[in-house]
Amino acid sequence: MLILSVESTCDETAVAITENGRRALTDQIFSQTGLHAVYGGVVPEIASRSHVELVSRLSERALEAAGVTKAQLDAVAVSYAPGLIGAVLVGVSFAKAAAYALGIPLIPVHHIPGHIAANYIAFPELEPPFLCLAVSGGNTLLVDVRGYTDMAVMGATRDDAAGECFDKTARVLGLPYPGGKYVDALSQTGDDTKYALPRAHVEGNPYDMSFSGLKTAVVNLVHHAEQKGEALDRESLCASFSRAVSETLVPRTMRLAKALDYEKIAVAGGVAANSRIRNDFKKAAEAAGARLFIPPLSLCGDNAAMIGCQAYYEYLAGTRAGSDLDAYANMEL
Amino acid sequence: MRILGFESSAKTASVAVCDESGLISQYYQNSGLTHSRTLLPMAEDMLKNLSLTVDDIDLFAVAHGPGSFTGIRIGVATVKGLAWAKDKPVCGVSTLQALACNGEVMPDESLICCVMDARRGQYYNALFEMRDGLPVRLCADRAIGAAKLAEDIENQKKRVFIVGDGALLCYNTLENLKANVVLAPEVLRFQSAWGVCVAAARAPWQSVHELLPVYLRMSQAERARRESAVGHAVHTEKQGGSA
Repeated sequence: MLILSVESTCDETAVAITENGRRALTDQIFSQTGLHAVYGGVVPEIASRSHVELVSRLSERALEAAGVTKAQLDAVAVSYAPGLIGAVLVGVSFAKAAAYALGIPLIPVHHIPGHIAANYIAFPELEPPFLCLAVSGGNTLLVDVRGYTDMAVMGATRDDAAGECFDKTARVLGLPYPGGKYVDALSQTGDDTKYALPRAHVEGNPYDMSFSGLKTAVVNLVHHAEQKGEALDRESLCASFSRAVSETLVPRTMRLAKALDYEKIAVAGGVAANSRIRNDFKKAAEAAGARLFIPPLSLCGDNAAMIGCQAYYEYLAGTRAGSDLDAYANMEL
Repeated sequence: MRILGFESSAKTASVAVCDESGLISQYYQNSGLTHSRTLLPMAEDMLKNLSLTVDDIDLFAVAHGPGSFTGIRIGVATVKGLAWAKDKPVCGVSTLQALACNGEVMPDESLICCVMDARRGQYYNALFEMRDGLPVRLCADRAIGAAKLAEDIENQKKRVFIVGDGALLCYNTLENLKANVVLAPEVLRFQSAWGVCVAAARAPWQSVHELLPVYLRMSQAERARRESAVGHAVHTEKQGGSA
């Protein structure tokens, strides 16, 4: 079954063609990073404008790259929530119209299960049930993946997403946007014990998280140093920060996996590209005898192949949408 | 030639099918529901009622702006999806040009002043003159301040027919100025997909990839950045001048 999928929830415009939920024939991604860099973050209106300029060209290119004709497509899928509403609307409007005109089913896909499904492309042997930490600039969720379309959120950040915290840290250190990879690069040579940064524990659910305290601590630390004219050890600050994030994410994930009696643990989303978090997960999984699945860097960020793969399983479960499908800025899993 | 036209640049969503004989069908919905919910279902339902399919459409037309940024994008992205899937041409027409068709009721030499409420004390506007029964463009689409537009119209010797969702507001300002203005009656005042089809029938076609929204305005972030850059340049210049 061939699915054409569209992703436009944030600052990547992407169109992919995937087969049976496991194989990406092509994933045409245009990253708008360069358009937003001067603003230090994603500007929703600029993102929406770029999506509408490119969505048909990327669709055409996807067909060419995959060597597929429109007549061979079996369904159209689209990431319809959550995201920047103006941006999501572009993908949804285009995908709806294309599915209707082609006379094939339209499959709506929630962005987070899409990220989780990136693992199905990278690891053909991975099947639910497993535990997944979905961690990006917009989300930080611990998801019990009971089945391909049967999921439950077991823990979540109460405030900022982990990725947002990386971006803020980069920004306050004067690093380019998006800052995750620059923080990661600097942290390689730093001393991760040099700066004492908080790891928040929230009341109630032991699997919930909080990153706003950590974010504020980094901002204050940098501002105080600037006021006093002290030179910061940027490498060590990045290393200490990355460690604090990792120590918030990794032990919680491992504890929950144990509580659920899962031996398979997956990580998904843009923050899964962070080397400290990847390494800490590898060590923790090895120590616990768990099997760890982290997609390659190319599948961590937003892409359309992951949407197409999740769409296949949604299709099998009977999920369909009509011409009245709307886009949503927020939607619970 | 059969045209399927879309208009979603403001509060109303409208879809129409026209051919050489004129309007075949038009839907017009002013329910407050988002265009993403209503626009494509209207087209789907309309074609079904007409016993037509998307294959029977030769040209997909859309009001490409100016107007609500999000509304325009919903219309443009919808038309791109349809046309791309069917390998058919498209035609993006100015919202104001399509609106000018409402003024074809007026005799030759009348001016048609199309005004849409652009918020922030501005209108999206263009002026047309009726010649041989057709509106001929006098100026490019623009975002213009209310006072400047009033001045422009005040200076016209000709009778001015005002159409668009900003027409009433604009008319009230002009009435005090005693310009020779006629406010379009409500049934002729607003943009519609019929107007989009009529304007598209007179315009060149485009390929699906060439179709782009026309906003007439930068995003808020770009504007702020430009203003701060200009402010900085002026500041630097002043400093340089005094040194």
